[in-house]
Amino acid sequence: MIDRSLLRHIDWILVGLLLLNSFIGVAFIYSSSHYLPGNYFLKQILWIFIGSIALFLFLTVDYKILVTFSPYFYIVAVATLGGVLLFGRLVAGAKSWLKFSFLQFQPSELMKLALILLLASVFSKFRRDSISWKKGLLSGALTAVPVLFVALQPDLGTALTYIPLFLAALILAGMNRKVFISIVIAALVLGVAGWNFALKDYQKTRLTTLISPSQDPLGSGYHILQSKIAIGSGGFLGKGFRKGTQSQLRFLPARHTDFIFSVIGEEFGFMGVIVALMCYFLFLNRLFKSVGLARDRAGVYIVFLVAVMISFQFFINVLMVVGILPITGTPLPLLSYGGSSLLTNFLGVSLVLNVKMRRFVFV
Amino acid sequence: MIKQEKIYEDLFPLLRRVRIIFILVVALFIFLIMNFWKVQVLDHVKYWERSEANRMREIALPYQRGLIMDREGTILANNRASFRVSLIRENCEDYDKSCRKIARLLNIEESVLKERIRKYESMPLFKPIVVKEDLTLEEVAMIESRKLELPELVLQSEPKRFYPFKSLAAHVIGYLQELSPEEMKKNLYGERRLGELVGKIGIEKQYETALVGIHGLLVEVVDSLGRGREEIDRRESAKGQDLTVSLDFDMQKEAEELLQGREGAIIAMDARTGELLALASYPNFDPNKFINRFTSEEWLNLVTSPEFPLENRAIRGLYSPGSVFKLTVALGALDSEIVTDETTFVCRGETTIYNHPFSCWREGGHGKVGFYDAIRHSCNIYFYNLGKELGIENISRYARMLGFGLKTGIDLPGEKTGLVPDPQWKIKARGEPWQKGETISVSIGQSFMLVTPIQIAAHTALIANRGARVTPHLFKYLSADGKKIESKNQFLKHEIVDINPAVFEQVIQGMWEAVNNEGTGRAAKILGFDVCGKTGSTQVISEDKSEEPEKKESEEEEEEEVKTHSWFTGFAPRENPEIVVTVIVEYGGMGGATAAPLARRLFNIYLRKNDR
Repeated sequence: MIDRSLLRHIDWILVGLLLLNSFIGVAFIYSSSHYLPGNYFLKQILWIFIGSIALFLFLTVDYKILVTFSPYFYIVAVATLGGVLLFGRLVAGAKSWLKFSFLQFQPSELMKLALILLLASVFSKFRRDSISWKKGLLSGALTAVPVLFVALQPDLGTALTYIPLFLAALILAGMNRKVFISIVIAALVLGVAGWNFALKDYQKTRLTTLISPSQDPLGSGYHILQSKIAIGSGGFLGKGFRKGTQSQLRFLPARHTDFIFSVIGEEFGFMGVIVALMCYFLFLNRLFKSVGLARDRAGVYIVFLVAVMISFQFFINVLMVVGILPITGTPLPLLSYGGSSLLTNFLGVSLVLNVKMRRFVFV
Repeated sequence: MIKQEKIYEDLFPLLRRVRIIFILVVALFIFLIMNFWKVQVLDHVKYWERSEANRMREIALPYQRGLIMDREGTILANNRASFRVSLIRENCEDYDKSCRKIARLLNIEESVLKERIRKYESMPLFKPIVVKEDLTLEEVAMIESRKLELPELVLQSEPKRFYPFKSLAAHVIGYLQELSPEEMKKNLYGERRLGELVGKIGIEKQYETALVGIHGLLVEVVDSLGRGREEIDRRESAKGQDLTVSLDFDMQKEAEELLQGREGAIIAMDARTGELLALASYPNFDPNKFINRFTSEEWLNLVTSPEFPLENRAIRGLYSPGSVFKLTVALGALDSEIVTDETTFVCRGETTIYNHPFSCWREGGHGKVGFYDAIRHSCNIYFYNLGKELGIENISRYARMLGFGLKTGIDLPGEKTGLVPDPQWKIKARGEPWQKGETISVSIGQSFMLVTPIQIAAHTALIANRGARVTPHLFKYLSADGKKIESKNQFLKHEIVDINPAVFEQVIQGMWEAVNNEGTGRAAKILGFDVCGKTGSTQVISEDKSEEPEKKESEEEEEEEVKTHSWFTGFAPRENPEIVVTVIVEYGGMGGATAAPLARRLFNIYLRKNDR
């Protein structure tokens, strides 16, 4: 059981910021779905409750033990994804494989945590200041397996969120900057060139629908445009809570999930956006600042990768909402409706708390 | 306490890299704020105008359901144009004032109007709420002329289901009702909209997926008052497929007229294919009333009426087969070679079997009775003896083989299975062992045995076809735009039961004599059409539907206090049979007196229509 003195070292401010952002999400889930059947905001509150309990239960296990057992978590997670792939199809709707009454669960979300722990385990044993090809290839292969499995579901949007974890781990491990930059540049050049010269139009459409099925039925940019209209029409002060015409008239797609930030922009304007961004920044800031408080290398990797996981999805989502990135179907962590994502992020934060509160070595 | 000491590895290079990433995060935050500043503050006016002017709305365009036609093309279920008017609350300048105005204009009580709107309170304000349907042309003109004055009212036209012959074949066709939120949740009808009309019983339900059309879609730009300005996109709705059923309008009409004032069912079926020419159940109802929103009182009257007008007695009514079941016992006894058509028994009007007295319906008895006369006169004593010899296990085996205790597979929802009793069933259901005397009762179709009229009809067709089973059905074909859609007719499978064909000829001889040789079915006789049939009369204790028919078996006997259901089932002609008719009249008295003449009328119409 947990040591009593450990409790004193729980970072309550981080817990507070986590809950603050989650409940901002609940408010806008309510605003954008109260007229739909399904009581989404109540379900979200239930998930926050479940997430909080899971968060504290998860704290009782020393992260060192978790790191030691990480290969097993990884194997179980990969096997589950394989199971989804094999049997999920038969049940129609690959992702809703794990279904507990009205709460559905996506195993691909928990895979992120397993991957974080495994990467931490791989890189923590490695003390030199620049990475070896062997380690790089090993971690690359370990990342590629779930990416492949989830992409086959097909859910390329979620699959792509695993890759930044791998890249971030490489950066942290001190990958040669020139090599890293050249890899990124090569990938970008290949991607852009391929998109513009090699792919035919129908192939592009096929690719975009692969990344985000049924996200953009009325042709390119329609939903993004609706999102921009929502945000822009909100102006400086917004149209008021539950008064956003874009969302209440249902022009906004996926209002309570992927596009929840547009609802904030429309109903509370620029001021609301600044406040929401502030709250989120404080949360991310606290996560990144926690990296320095880790006791050991594994702890550093865990805290950093959790911070990267949440920030990456945050930016992908918000940049999509303001129309800079294309629609990828990535939810806004903590704010978007959805139990799997919420629970995963809560458990991620739990890992950070875990590392933080065990930062003192008792001799 | 021991002094705590931090022991760090040299993590400094790692933390430096973390800091670089964090600076990137901060930069992205600043980039985001700049973007929001541009979109929300600098370009605000542009987007504000677009959100006001470009409020697009999707409107579902109603589709037409497919028609339902009889075998000759008479339309039994049609669509007619209708107008409805809806209120958009968002567009009301003053809600109470416009309610008052609308109530006066449409001639509805203001309180009723408000009550209806309250029901849909949780819907978004811009959603139209239907306040009146089936408008007259005057009302349409009146609303149209006040369009500018009353922007909150919108007129919509929609095709509406219409059954031109009202209650005719109501049980077969079924009716539509609004999809309820519960059904929507259960996803019983697939992708449908709340409030959409869906088939609830009968053909309308059975062939829902074929009959249903596809909603059209209209995307229009609406101004800030919600008035349509410009169509952006339009996808026309598609009509459902038309369904031709096997019913014959004239026979169906005659069957229902014959049942008027009674309770019961009449079935006429093509013996060769199982196509149903008439399937009447009475009392019936007018399905048009279900579509026009029913007042709750009328609805309650129908549902709670002691005569159960909504029940389709032909497939859901459970009755004792009575003497009609003697055909099954006769087939079983001959096939298992317990008796031959030369076996005789002596009927003295009553007898004692297993220490119980059992009587024949004819006081004084039939004397020495042979096989054919036993069917012809429906002698109970003869069949008691057959039943005793066969035993309950064999009786129930033959009953199941001949279609009892199983659904016939008719293409109507809600068919009942009935009950073929046997010792295992009785132990399970009642917890008591089988009494030998009950076998004797079962052998004349009394006791626990329960059948539906459609099972009797299918059973009769099986005898008529000398052992080939047909599936009673209504489906003929689907068509779209007047063109027949070819499809495999799943009902045209003929299964041959494992009974010696010669046995059928002998039973048919008995049925022929029952009608044509002064037997119990003589009232169904038609010169030149060789009707073969069997009557039945089953006593029920009283009208309050006591659970089982009285055990005391009887046939064609009249007693004042005891009510009798009246059965007749038969086919014609004897060689190459074409038509099966089954009649049951509840509390109709003797089968030969009540049901047989009704059957005769149906045979007659068939003969007239198919006169070559």
